[in-house]
Amino acid sequence: MSNHDEPDLKPTPGARATALLKRPDVARTAVFTIIWTAIFVVLGLVFYPKWMPTIMSTDMKAMERIMVAFTVISAPIAGLVMGIATQAVTNRHKGDTPPPDGPAIRTNGPVVVVWSLVSGIFALVAVVWGIAELNTMANAATTDAKEAIHVQVIGSQWVWSFKYVDQGVESDKLILPIDRPVEFDVTSEDVNHSFWPVQLGVKVDANKLQTTTVHTVPNKLGAIDVKCAELCGLYHAYMETSGEVVTEDNFKNWVTANGGHNA
Amino acid sequence: MQTTTSGTTSSKRLISALVFVVLGVAVVGAVGFTLHSLSADPQKPLYATKSSETIVVDGKTYPKASATLGVYPDKATAAEDGYKINKKDYVQYGPSTHLVLPAHTYVTVTIHAYDGGEQLNNPYFGKVVGTVGGTINIDGVDVSNVASDNVQHTFTLHGIPSTSQDPLFVNVPLPQVKEGDKGFLPTQDPGTHFKGHTVTFSFITGGAGDYVWNCEYPCGDGSYAKFGAAMSTYGYMSGKVTVK
Amino acid sequence: MTTLHNTSTHSRPIPNPAKSLITKLNMGTGTVVGILFALGAYYALRPAADAANFYNQQNKALLAGMFAWSIGFLVGIGAFIGPFRWLIGKDLTAEEQLYLAGDGQGIKRYFKYCTDHKVVGIQYLVGVMAMLGVGGTMAMMIRTSLAIPGGHFVGATIYNSLVGLHGITMIIAMIIVATGPFGNYIMPIMIGARDMAFPRLNALSWWVLFTAIPVLCSAWFLGGIPTGWTAYAPLSVQAGPGMNAFIATIIIFAFSTAVAGMNITATVVAMRAKGMKWNRVPIFVIGATMSVALAIPAFPTFMLAMVQTATDRVFNTGFYDANVGGSGWLYAHLFWIMGHPEVYVILLPGVAILMEIAPVFVRKPLFSFNAAVMGFAGIAGLSVLVWAHHMYISGWTPTLNGPFMVTTEMISVPTGLLFLVLLGTIWRGKPWMKLPMLALFAVIWNLLIGGITGIYLSDVPADNYLHGSMYVTAHFHYTLMGAALTGAVAGLAYWFPKMTGRMLNERAGYISFWFTQIGFQILFLGMFIAGAEGQPRRVVSFAAMYKYQNMISTGGAYLVGTGFIILLWAVIHSWRKGDIAPQNPWGAKTLEWTVPYPVPLENFDELPVITSDPYGYGKGN
Repeated sequence: MSNHDEPDLKPTPGARATALLKRPDVARTAVFTIIWTAIFVVLGLVFYPKWMPTIMSTDMKAMERIMVAFTVISAPIAGLVMGIATQAVTNRHKGDTPPPDGPAIRTNGPVVVVWSLVSGIFALVAVVWGIAELNTMANAATTDAKEAIHVQVIGSQWVWSFKYVDQGVESDKLILPIDRPVEFDVTSEDVNHSFWPVQLGVKVDANKLQTTTVHTVPNKLGAIDVKCAELCGLYHAYMETSGEVVTEDNFKNWVTANGGHNA
Repeated sequence: MQTTTSGTTSSKRLISALVFVVLGVAVVGAVGFTLHSLSADPQKPLYATKSSETIVVDGKTYPKASATLGVYPDKATAAEDGYKINKKDYVQYGPSTHLVLPAHTYVTVTIHAYDGGEQLNNPYFGKVVGTVGGTINIDGVDVSNVASDNVQHTFTLHGIPSTSQDPLFVNVPLPQVKEGDKGFLPTQDPGTHFKGHTVTFSFITGGAGDYVWNCEYPCGDGSYAKFGAAMSTYGYMSGKVTVK
Repeated sequence: MTTLHNTSTHSRPIPNPAKSLITKLNMGTGTVVGILFALGAYYALRPAADAANFYNQQNKALLAGMFAWSIGFLVGIGAFIGPFRWLIGKDLTAEEQLYLAGDGQGIKRYFKYCTDHKVVGIQYLVGVMAMLGVGGTMAMMIRTSLAIPGGHFVGATIYNSLVGLHGITMIIAMIIVATGPFGNYIMPIMIGARDMAFPRLNALSWWVLFTAIPVLCSAWFLGGIPTGWTAYAPLSVQAGPGMNAFIATIIIFAFSTAVAGMNITATVVAMRAKGMKWNRVPIFVIGATMSVALAIPAFPTFMLAMVQTATDRVFNTGFYDANVGGSGWLYAHLFWIMGHPEVYVILLPGVAILMEIAPVFVRKPLFSFNAAVMGFAGIAGLSVLVWAHHMYISGWTPTLNGPFMVTTEMISVPTGLLFLVLLGTIWRGKPWMKLPMLALFAVIWNLLIGGITGIYLSDVPADNYLHGSMYVTAHFHYTLMGAALTGAVAGLAYWFPKMTGRMLNERAGYISFWFTQIGFQILFLGMFIAGAEGQPRRVVSFAAMYKYQNMISTGGAYLVGTGFIILLWAVIHSWRKGDIAPQNPWGAKTLEWTVPYPVPLENFDELPVITSDPYGYGKGN
């Protein structure tokens, strides 16, 4: 932000910027901004990869990418906000009488415009990025649909059950073969539930008399937690079950062991 | 800024503030204590009877324990069986809905089921899951499935999968008490005048953990999906299972 | 600065229309008549234990009893005397009207149907603090319960009720936390008016709201609610008798906000002092008016949603029952058409308070009044177009994701303007670190975190994972509690001298501030982590992997709780024995600081004439 009541003597924008940065408060703000930006960047790079569960599908990967990227992109803006605030704190006034009058800056047109543009561009990046990811997911779902295994997910108050339509198997555990597209057809026998296989990074509500679908491709072996993400009454908290992504052979064995047939 | 200091000295103020904070914490604590007391089980927990026998399943030896439950269509029936426990006239399990089971044990549960029924919301819960051998014994007959239109209630035991407690999932369908039924004829219980089925099943507990069970047969008549009332009120058709 | 403390106001003779009924009615008579009405309605409709459709009948009887209480209370406190007189072609006498304004009646007027906006403001302030206290106690219960996994502290029934009733109590409290006390007490003085546009409606809005409080509390004695504050159908249709209390509360509350919203809007539009053009209106007034104006279209949809829930429960109308052609999505849409504007109804006044405070404490003009107005207007406008971002994962057609993602992300532009105004105002100033200013810095941080996490959540692929997790809970607490409530506390510290005549105890204020703010960061950091790891919201028990995160959160919550108890002490103590405040302790230029304490009945001897905006601080101004 430039100073409104300083006479505009500097001929070039570059020279003006240099002069601006020489001002002690601006310099301090710049330093704080850089420090805060660094903090937010580190936070973004560390927080989500550290705390998010194992990534077991491309959808989950896309989700993590968004969290990290958005944090990093927004870091300079957040850094500037905190930089200005921090510099104001270092310049604070104590005591029981009001501080001396500050400069009577009423507004600053260019700053308002630039600020709005930057936040607009940031919002636009977020939207475009999100739509692009969604599009990728939708395309993947369409191409995968033919070879997908279909799992009918049924939410009943407060237990999940899974019906493997093509294999003729029913289970309380979600067992999926690796690298094979899966289509979850989700429904409810009573109130709303929300089907959430955590490590697969997808989620969809379960509604009575309605089938909602969601697609994904598990690409890593390991355990999955299946949870309910919509408050569904007394034992909502206990509406959880476990699952596993297994090899194709192990999946076939599991189907056979449970009285199904491998299509 | 000039201000006139009013009567209280700073030490008095400090004491007043401290007393206030202590009182505030005490009020919140009292509310907590009240809610905690209200959350207590409506009935005393039912402890499984441990026996000195052991049994070998899949090459491993387990100690044995057993527990007996009843399912009653209303308060009066439960009372006839000696359980005067619940306030509301709902269908209910007795004598308690909180079971305490020993860890790493072969637990045999006997359920005397005295209610009728209609149709399961989700047919999956007609299937026996998680018992030893995948079967339950109904009036002396081993079965692995009860038709979804022939179920009166279920005993469905589950918990939150977690690294610190073993998974435990058991689903036991209880057949309806229905005269002229070809599959399961109701038997008269000794000592009571009502007829019912005796369902026996066993499962093996893992390590210590907190689980819950509920009925999956929609028996909360008059409410949406018949899952309100008796189904959604703790202590009737739902309860806790503590393994320790 | 002046240290004038003017206690001698116009000593008007206390009006005493002794024969009039209005002198005999108060909260006590209201309660008695209300209880009689309630019992009458309930017992007239109460079903026999073996009645067919027992639950429908029971719901009907309970709802009728609750509405009868509300109407009975208003009858008993005399709310309908004026309208009744109109019906028979008369009106209250001048003496009666003056009596209703409560001048010179001391503490009694706070328990009466009093039309003075300052009395209503204090009623709101005390009511809001009580509600925050109750809601906060429930928050402590929730966190205590989550301190260790396994749900050993309270059972699932009580836990679910705690979650829902904490939610709705806090939402109601937060909606009125700024516009109630400050909107009623301060705002009319700020714009140079003698009272609100409709003083009797003003009293009505408070007392209608008041009747909702016991109704909501009754949920505890009717078995609680299992639905959370969102009350999603069909779970709400399935729920037990406690749900009726929730439904009745919302319908009563929606009525109250409609009355209050129209009154505040009309006052600001029509009653501004001479010369107070729109660009000279204090920014708090702009923000608060935008907020209540936004509430006017928002709450009727919630009311409608609840009326339909009620008819589903009483008459089996099946609006939300898929078995008979209804849909739970209908409810979700209606709810969020209220629900998302509503969070901005809460946020805007909080931010507007800070904008009012910032110029005073840095002695600089408000940076870009126009940007502030555009920010508020932009948020208010966009907020009615974003509701369905709560439904990304409902399983609807994917075509709908794009548009709602666009509108939602775009809200970050006007929100950015609000930041710019605050930052521009403190830029190059020396902030006077009194409690209100301290709160401003806390809000900048909290709203930043709340805002950025909101950007993730509004992106569909990220929401696919985060929806319904503790991450969402942490996000909206940063905006509603971290920003809006902290803003309201700043307002309390700022206007306390005008509302009580005394200064808020500074040291206790600081201690409370640091307790609440540090506790708050710890509390929700733990929750962000648990949410990112996949812990769902609203669960009484959770997997052991979230153990430490939850324990940390609970520790933070206890700090917050302690902080608010200290603040409550500071308020009570300062109100009774605090240092006498000068007329204008902060040296502010808005009109409320030109009147003495106690503020005279009609505020001004002579109505002021406005020649500039109130932000003429700084060198060369």
